[in-house]
Amino acid sequence: MAGRLLTYLIKISWSVQNIAVAAVVALMTCLLVFMLLYMYVKSVREKKQHKWRMISDMLINKAIFYEDRDEIEDQILASVLEAAQKLIVNRYFRKFIAGELVSAKKNISGASADSLKQFYLQLGLDKYALKNLESRQWYVKAEAIQELTIMHTDEFIDQLHTHTNDKNEYVRMEAQAAMVQFKGFDGLDFLNSISYPLSNWQQIKLLQLLSLKPPSTINIDKWFKSDNNSVVIFALKLARNYHRFELHDAITECLDHENADVRYEAIRCLNEIYTDETADHLISRFLQQGLKHQVAIARAMQNVGSKKDELFLFDLLKHESDELKLHAARALANASKEGLLSLEKYSKESEEAISQILMHIKGENAA
Amino acid sequence: MKILVAEDDQLMMKMLEFRLRKDGHEVIITHDGREAVSKLDEFQPDLVITDIMMPYLSGLEVVSAVKKKYPTGTPVVILSGMGQENVVLEAFQLGADDYMTKPFSPNELSVRVRRFDMSAIK
Repeated sequence: MAGRLLTYLIKISWSVQNIAVAAVVALMTCLLVFMLLYMYVKSVREKKQHKWRMISDMLINKAIFYEDRDEIEDQILASVLEAAQKLIVNRYFRKFIAGELVSAKKNISGASADSLKQFYLQLGLDKYALKNLESRQWYVKAEAIQELTIMHTDEFIDQLHTHTNDKNEYVRMEAQAAMVQFKGFDGLDFLNSISYPLSNWQQIKLLQLLSLKPPSTINIDKWFKSDNNSVVIFALKLARNYHRFELHDAITECLDHENADVRYEAIRCLNEIYTDETADHLISRFLQQGLKHQVAIARAMQNVGSKKDELFLFDLLKHESDELKLHAARALANASKEGLLSLEKYSKESEEAISQILMHIKGENAA
Repeated sequence: MKILVAEDDQLMMKMLEFRLRKDGHEVIITHDGREAVSKLDEFQPDLVITDIMMPYLSGLEVVSAVKKKYPTGTPVVILSGMGQENVVLEAFQLGADDYMTKPFSPNELSVRVRRFDMSAIK
């Protein structure tokens, strides 16, 4: 009985061992097949990428040495372009080659850059970018605008212009920047029609782009009347940056604007663009403003104030805001030759804070 | 001429290499400021072309290192996307011999590099 049981157990243990061995062998075979498959796919992908990179390198190379072309070089270029055109239906290749050409175009200028644009157009990448402008995904649209802008395809300005008031902030930022890059100051005509606000960041970006363009005396004052407050603020910044003194009266009207941010920007603008009457305009509106605006007016008085404004400025020295007092004291010191003396005299009869401010101003003047 | 290029952007690196080799120069490419400085002794370049914004050591630090090592020789040309006045001034104060901003014209680079080629001048 015991002998039979032992034989039975041995048999079972053998079959369990066999199953385990079979399982391990099967697993290792699977792993091997998977690894071979993975290596094959990887090698195919690498070969493909290598080919793509060779095409892109050759195109960039040809663009850089555009002047060295002869008949043989032209034949090589034609065959490279042909190979690229065959691959262009592959969206991954399209993305790759467009990315390479765009990156190269960002870094080079002159005739080489023109050649790159030529290749871009020859490969029909502009058509795909235009198609992407209609995409539902905002990032695809924004990327397409950026691509067309960098490649300087100014023939599509009208299509890009339609996106300057896109509901997506990033899309309209790219489109607005594109307009300025293509047309300089004239590109700002999108300000006539945009209903969405221009963010502060976008205003800085546009001003930076404009600083690279030749100055122009375009009509800015129409934007002072815009229903879009951010457009008014941007127009005030333009007037200040480009010293548009002829707009002084229109800027002064903005001091009565219903929007506080516009009024603040108008005060800042008058700090640079002023006449003999500017101080009177600012003083007459002082009491209706909040502290931030009052401080801005006091700061502006340092530039626009004169002896006739001394009474107002001395009044400001009684204000509870130390910042405002400091600006008023500076304005007094600048207002006339005797300004500092009057301030000294006043400080002897007033609170300690004024004496400290006076010392601070003397220190500034000495420096 | 032996030119050492310090540039971290692959595509820029390639474009510079294409152009400079085609002009007949011997070119060594380095991928950051630290590598560029470490290759100075080994390569003994006649000219260094460097970007500014690079990992480990910036282009301005590369200018300082080159000028410290070769106070009277080895000109340095900066090729950078940073065109702000203060950066350009700082580069020249550190001893940079030329400054080009991106986007750059490869032809213009060739001409500027040729100015430093003493053998060509002779």
